[in-house]
Amino acid sequence: MEKTFTLFLSTSPYSYENTYTAVKIAESALNKGHAVNLIASGDGVYCFLKKQKAKGITNAEEKFSELIQKGLKVYL
Amino acid sequence: MGKIAIILRKSPYGDINAAEAVRHALGAVSDDMSVLLILVDSGVLLSKKGQDDTGTGFTNLEGILKDCIDMGVDVYAEKLSVGEHHMEAADSVESVKIVDGSEIAELIKEAKTTMIF
Amino acid sequence: MLVIVKSAPDTTDGERGIKFARDMAADIVLLQNGAYFVQGGKLEDLGFVGTAYILDDDRKLRGLKESDFGDRVKEINYDGVVDLMTESDKVVGMF
Repeated sequence: MEKTFTLFLSTSPYSYENTYTAVKIAESALNKGHAVNLIASGDGVYCFLKKQKAKGITNAEEKFSELIQKGLKVYL
Repeated sequence: MGKIAIILRKSPYGDINAAEAVRHALGAVSDDMSVLLILVDSGVLLSKKGQDDTGTGFTNLEGILKDCIDMGVDVYAEKLSVGEHHMEAADSVESVKIVDGSEIAELIKEAKTTMIF
Repeated sequence: MLVIVKSAPDTTDGERGIKFARDMAADIVLLQNGAYFVQGGKLEDLGFVGTAYILDDDRKLRGLKESDFGDRVKEINYDGVVDLMTESDKVVGMF
């Protein structure tokens, strides 16, 4: 049965592992056909800035852009 | 140039501190500085062998720690912290020196600059 | 009920998550630094008797071995986490 996941991301993209955790849970839930919302609050909004250059760690712009293509709904 | 002591108090991957500590250690040693990397509290977990980043996209910090050692960074882990985090000497990357708190204090005293992560 | 714990055993957040799960008779999922809870009987010390799940990626990143924990801890991947979340009547976290 399809369910709705709503993730709350409030930390900046590269200071914590939360970005990676949120990306992986969202990705898996979308692949299983669930609806996924992500609410970015506080420093979490920095995950959605353009022109991020991070390497060696989850690139937030790149990964969330891919997930938005797969149906992730993001609310800032 | 004076010695720099980089103190890491946080375990790897959960936050950026361990990655920052080894990054700055590499930067300093590349700039011909004498670098001490001191692992205390959960920072000792940085030296744990067997870290596997397969499929995660994370930089393997065990590998970077080994690079630091190869380039001449002296790495110390505090003995009590090692025990508290269920590690033994054999669980640590080779060349990491396990020392007690008073030795750590001496190392910090002799360093000209200190950075804490 | 499912409680998700991402904080390390040496933090009040992590400990609170485990105690909360214990008191609510919930199962736990250990992510990020929460993975270190499987070492040294820490879950038992806090009186947790439910089922603990550990995320494979976060365990491997930290160099933790499967021999570090017993049969009571089950290893899962992200698909497993999502399945547990959808099957649970309530999900609390992340601590």
